[in-house]
Amino acid sequence: MKAQSKLYFYILISVLLLVVLAIGALYIGVYDFNGLSPFTVLSQYISGDPNLALSDKYVIWDVRAARVIMAILIGSMLAVSGTSLQGLFKNPLATGEAIGLTSGATLLAAIAIVLGGHFKEYLPEMVQFSLTGISAFIGALLAMMLVYRISTSAGKTNVVMMLLSGVAITSIGFSITGFLIYISKDEQLRDLTFWNMGSLAAATWTKNIVLAVVIAISYAFLLPKGKALNAMMLGERDAQHLGINVERLKKQIVIITSLMVGTCVAFSGTIGFVGLIVPYILRLLFKSNYTFILPLSAVLGSILLLIADTISRSIVAPSELPIGILTSLIGGPIFIAILIKFKKSL
Amino acid sequence: MKKFILTASILMAVYSCKKESQKPTENKTEVSSETPKTNNKIVSISGGITEIVSALGHESEIVATDVTSTYPESLKATAKNLGHVRSMTIEPIMAVSPTLILASDKDINPDLLGKIKASGIKTELFKQEFTVDGTKKLIADVAKAIGNTDYQKLTDKIDADLKQVQPIAKKPKVLFIYARGNMMMVSGKNTPMAALIDLAGGENAINDFEDFKPLTPEAVVKANPDVLFFFSTGLEGSGGNEGALKMPGVSQTNAGKNKKIIAMDGGLVSGFGPRLGEAAVALNKLLVESTK
Repeated sequence: MKAQSKLYFYILISVLLLVVLAIGALYIGVYDFNGLSPFTVLSQYISGDPNLALSDKYVIWDVRAARVIMAILIGSMLAVSGTSLQGLFKNPLATGEAIGLTSGATLLAAIAIVLGGHFKEYLPEMVQFSLTGISAFIGALLAMMLVYRISTSAGKTNVVMMLLSGVAITSIGFSITGFLIYISKDEQLRDLTFWNMGSLAAATWTKNIVLAVVIAISYAFLLPKGKALNAMMLGERDAQHLGINVERLKKQIVIITSLMVGTCVAFSGTIGFVGLIVPYILRLLFKSNYTFILPLSAVLGSILLLIADTISRSIVAPSELPIGILTSLIGGPIFIAILIKFKKSL
Repeated sequence: MKKFILTASILMAVYSCKKESQKPTENKTEVSSETPKTNNKIVSISGGITEIVSALGHESEIVATDVTSTYPESLKATAKNLGHVRSMTIEPIMAVSPTLILASDKDINPDLLGKIKASGIKTELFKQEFTVDGTKKLIADVAKAIGNTDYQKLTDKIDADLKQVQPIAKKPKVLFIYARGNMMMVSGKNTPMAALIDLAGGENAINDFEDFKPLTPEAVVKANPDVLFFFSTGLEGSGGNEGALKMPGVSQTNAGKNKKIIAMDGGLVSGFGPRLGEAAVALNKLLVESTK
């Protein structure tokens, strides 16, 4: 019970920090609300004030708030999917990237960007508009299915096989993407490059609703799995003896993770490092206790990505830096600092 | 936690529905030191379009441009540079409170276009063709969009300029090399460069493919151009004439042997705006000189 209240305390503190950061992020941007503070504008918007200028409304709600919420949602999903996969694979390097999900998503996104022009006109308009995103999502799912097929026999999934086939799929995915880069036009090349570095510039409330629904479903399954993941660390057989349906757990985690990674990549391109760094930081602080690090990674991921996105859109204003560059840049030093601090206990 | 997430997503759904029924438009008052012909505040995100707007006398109405809008230079002081169109985002555009956004359909990325549409700001997307007629049509379209149909003088000037192009008896084969740092691309069919080379009385050296492809030594030797053609900045970045002559394969070509290397301003070459005739004449002069 004591541990439980400690967890609630940490979650409360980090959620408070997230709220403060989110409000702070609303204040940062190149648009000027005629001297009004963004928070005033936002509260005017929420209360339905008729005096609010329409462009002010658009910027505060559809541009800035949408983007802040998208950073929070995507950061959370990337971190939780990383934590779950690392718990499942008992390997600190396992992420959506490692088991081939990101590569699959990137490959299909690249196909849509480079070859989309040839078949786009035959698709319904709604699909045309988000073709890259939808393709990325399908790519993640296909990669997951392939990896799962290869590594499962007689209803049992071999975790090492899964990581290794992930490596193979990643290499195939990148080589085909490389070919597409080779044949692409100048502006397609730019799109591909930006896609690979990630961006939250295309945030909309429709996308946020989709993300929120995916999160609600995924977290309902995943967040209570802390104890099961703790048991998995003892080894699959011992976990089985403790009454955990190991095969079902694996299946659930893999499917839910690819759903989350696929949706994230679909909306924001590939944003690396969040799924790797967040669980690692938490594991160093709380050991490998998944009842702690699983829910906490949901908040810490949001914090990290929100900070990164706010910097990305303000550091080179009026232009912006792709966020993937920043997640690695911010994540790297933190990672090293923690490694040095905990050198002895590693 | 579950409850919280559910409540949050329901709240978001409610707000987003609310938002979708509204289409915000710009309603700020115009503040300008000069008196423009119309009250537009234009964001032009294409070099050629920017030139047309300026040539029609509406330069003072342009409040922001993209990185390719390098002409007229005086815009640098009055209009905000929003960077490259492929990496542009909506907030900096909103920050200049535009009333009209002008863009070329091939440049703009779908995400930004979606955001611009949702903002409710009047937006005109133009189709740009790299031909004389295409340019004239673009001028007419842009003129219509900014409410100034007095564009005849611009199209007439293009025709007048083009008449000054001297025919070259033996059309020189011109290879355009798009050099950016270590990346070298050559232009094939259906590029602005190929079209301009044609207008200037030359022949595009490579017609096996469309658009741009990376430069390979064999392809250069096979194409055997008489003249190498660069953007001024690109040639500078590749170490000037000497650097160009050292490029793989170049020394085996006629252009390499005779050291025929020419360069022109990138905006002038690829703009396909009111200066199209000017650009063709300038390139024609360079080609005539290099075939002497």
